[in-house]
Amino acid sequence: MAGIVVAPESKVSREAQLTAIVWLRWRLFVNALRTKRGQLELFSQILVSTAFAAVAFGGAFGLAILSYVFLSAGKLQMLPVFFWIIFLFWQVFPIMATAFSSTPDSSDLLRFPLSYGSYFLVRLAYGLFDPASVIGGVWSLGIVVGVSAAKLSLFPWALLVMLVFVGFNILLMQTIFAWVERWLAQRRTREIMGALFVLLMLSFQLLGPLTGHYGRRARPGLQHIVEVITPIQGFFPPGLAADSIVQAIYPQFLPAISALLLLCAYALVTGYALHFRLMAQYRGENLSEVAAASNAGKDRRLQRGWDLPGFATPVAAVLEKEVRYLMRSGPMLFALIMPMVMLVLFRFGAMNSARQAIPFFSRTPALAFPVAAAYGILMLTNFVYNNFGGDAAGIQFFYASPARFRDIVLAKNLMHGGILLLEAGLAWIAVSLIYQRPGFDVTVATIAGLLFAAPVNFAIGNLLSIYSPRKIDYSKFGRQRASQFPALISMGIQLVLVGIGAGVFWLASYLGNFWIATLVLLAMAALSFTVYRVILNRVDGLALERRETMVAELCKA
Amino acid sequence: MEVAPTISTQGLSRRFGELLAVDGVNLQVSPGQFFGFLGPNGAGKSTTIKMLTGLLAPSAGRIEILGLDLEKNSVEVKRQIGVVPEGMALFGRLTGSEFLNFAGRMYGLDREVAAKRTGELLDFMQLADQPKKLVTDYSHGMQKKLAMAAAVIHGPKVLFLDEPFEGVDAIASGTLKAMLQRMIARGATIFLTSHVLEIVERLCSHVAIIHKGRLVAQGSLEQLRAGVEAQAPAGAGESAALAAGEKLTLEQIFLRTVGGEQRSDPELSWLE
Repeated sequence: MAGIVVAPESKVSREAQLTAIVWLRWRLFVNALRTKRGQLELFSQILVSTAFAAVAFGGAFGLAILSYVFLSAGKLQMLPVFFWIIFLFWQVFPIMATAFSSTPDSSDLLRFPLSYGSYFLVRLAYGLFDPASVIGGVWSLGIVVGVSAAKLSLFPWALLVMLVFVGFNILLMQTIFAWVERWLAQRRTREIMGALFVLLMLSFQLLGPLTGHYGRRARPGLQHIVEVITPIQGFFPPGLAADSIVQAIYPQFLPAISALLLLCAYALVTGYALHFRLMAQYRGENLSEVAAASNAGKDRRLQRGWDLPGFATPVAAVLEKEVRYLMRSGPMLFALIMPMVMLVLFRFGAMNSARQAIPFFSRTPALAFPVAAAYGILMLTNFVYNNFGGDAAGIQFFYASPARFRDIVLAKNLMHGGILLLEAGLAWIAVSLIYQRPGFDVTVATIAGLLFAAPVNFAIGNLLSIYSPRKIDYSKFGRQRASQFPALISMGIQLVLVGIGAGVFWLASYLGNFWIATLVLLAMAALSFTVYRVILNRVDGLALERRETMVAELCKA
Repeated sequence: MEVAPTISTQGLSRRFGELLAVDGVNLQVSPGQFFGFLGPNGAGKSTTIKMLTGLLAPSAGRIEILGLDLEKNSVEVKRQIGVVPEGMALFGRLTGSEFLNFAGRMYGLDREVAAKRTGELLDFMQLADQPKKLVTDYSHGMQKKLAMAAAVIHGPKVLFLDEPFEGVDAIASGTLKAMLQRMIARGATIFLTSHVLEIVERLCSHVAIIHKGRLVAQGSLEQLRAGVEAQAPAGAGESAALAAGEKLTLEQIFLRTVGGEQRSDPELSWLE
């Protein structure tokens, strides 16, 4: 019969589609190697993967030995600690190190007749290859090996529990990304999240003195809290996984099975929460500001752009544009509050380890502010090392306009500097609330350290932004491929800078005078600022030289 | 007295590895011309327009815009031209108003003027209804209109448009054409590429055709028509039309120039 012959539904098999997707990923990988940049990316990927492999197998070996030793010695209460370490790493690392996340956006596949089940599977499969999943999975295997070495008959049970635990973690990681992206996508939900965060920070105003009080005068009270918390953790997935194995050792099969079933229930609930989000994506949800904007009404006032005295008009225009971009990018704002989250986490760590050693920042509160400020710079690398990533096709506008790239880059760096200043201010307040107010000498020395580190980062970041640009979507969270090469370089730069800073602070601390650190760091700041200016003045020529790569890379569909 | 061309290229070439995408193109566009630059897919249109606007470096040759060497005076040239490139060059996470304001100031307008022209352009392009809507949420046609508005906000003397009517509905297309004709009326020169030959025929006074990287025809529509008729006799169907006193259409001129006669396509097995 004449007519258009469409493949019957039964013939669009899931296996064939998944195979095609695997083939697609492979071809994208192979085709990327045609360019020098792609080869450099592969080299960086190998280096990063080697480092991750060392962490994964080193950690797995350590966990295997520790599991074996503690289980052989009958210290079963240590097992939950290992599971909690894996769990926290698995869920927190991807958010902290978004530069190293390499989860592609599976929603690109929705133009094809992909069933919802296949879409769900693809999303999970992409998440499976995230560094956190690989490392977490290998660490989990380490525990299985350790437990099995201590008691071989436990191997099948430990493996089963671990598989469920791994599955739960993969689901949870994807669920967190999907929901955080949802909450950050629109202004109203973003503001609610911001308000919750501020409340959390303020709560430490009470928590700080409280723990300090218990820490100094009523340690048994705190011990009591820890004793209360310990059984409670057993109701959460890491505790349940550990408990299921511990109960099987006794052997008490009913509690062991119950714990495993509860863990399965957690996985199912998490999977359902993920399903809720993915189904919305599958149906073509558009997370944009439209909903918020539609209520705004018609605003016909003449709105002048910003003015920045002392700077050329394009600098003010680009700075205004950058700030607007940042304020509309939930994921980027989220990345910027991570230093404060880390301070909070460290404080939790201090509470939990109260019975163990005294935590680092409690011993040396003076260093909390410099460390938080340094971490602020680390989070800023997301912007600094890919200056033009968010501009995407807009890069053509920059090239077509008469504005100098020097002015454009300067404006972007001014924003980065502003963010750093804000981050440092927030970190100072957070440290004051959570630990103790940093001394004046430490504050000044830290600012001197930032004045040294920021121009170095800006200078190298500007170069890498021109030599290795990659388009990024400011609205997506955890589902876009970051460029490994700049991430690797930035990590190397941070290590060197943190090393220098730590050395100077250690020396000052050893000599008991932080003003020495200020002087040394200010001298280095003068040098780094000179390097920054030299590179900034060469940006016009470099950008012109690299215009084809820039336009081709940033205008990719 | 001979008037200096607004756009002039000599031996303009661009090589991508082994491929010579643009091969020794010599273009001449006079002031006030509405110039259509045509060619089949992959002929080198976008590559040429990218070189003319400074988005791509030529491998060889020379470009002069408004009498200025583009390579040596790129900033001065860019100040006087407006561009709507292939990808439209928009900033998706700004509102339309913010983007136009930004564009104006990047071209050196002061804050007052940029704000005033932004308002006028939004009204003219019928984009003022949703001032808070982000560009990324605009429809394709709205984005085209916005890109066009950004290209003219500084009052350029020359306008380069790469496929300005692609994906644009009849209403938006009418708005764009009205604006372009206003620009021509006030003495601007417009250089556009388009696959929609009817639009080019209606708007453009002069046309150039590029094929496989080489410029194969250039001149006014009448000159092109005469050239084509002199080179090859009309086909049977065309003869009948011409006998009735009709002129060759731009489409017919184009097809004859690039040798794109109707071919008998092989059958597609699943569309039998």
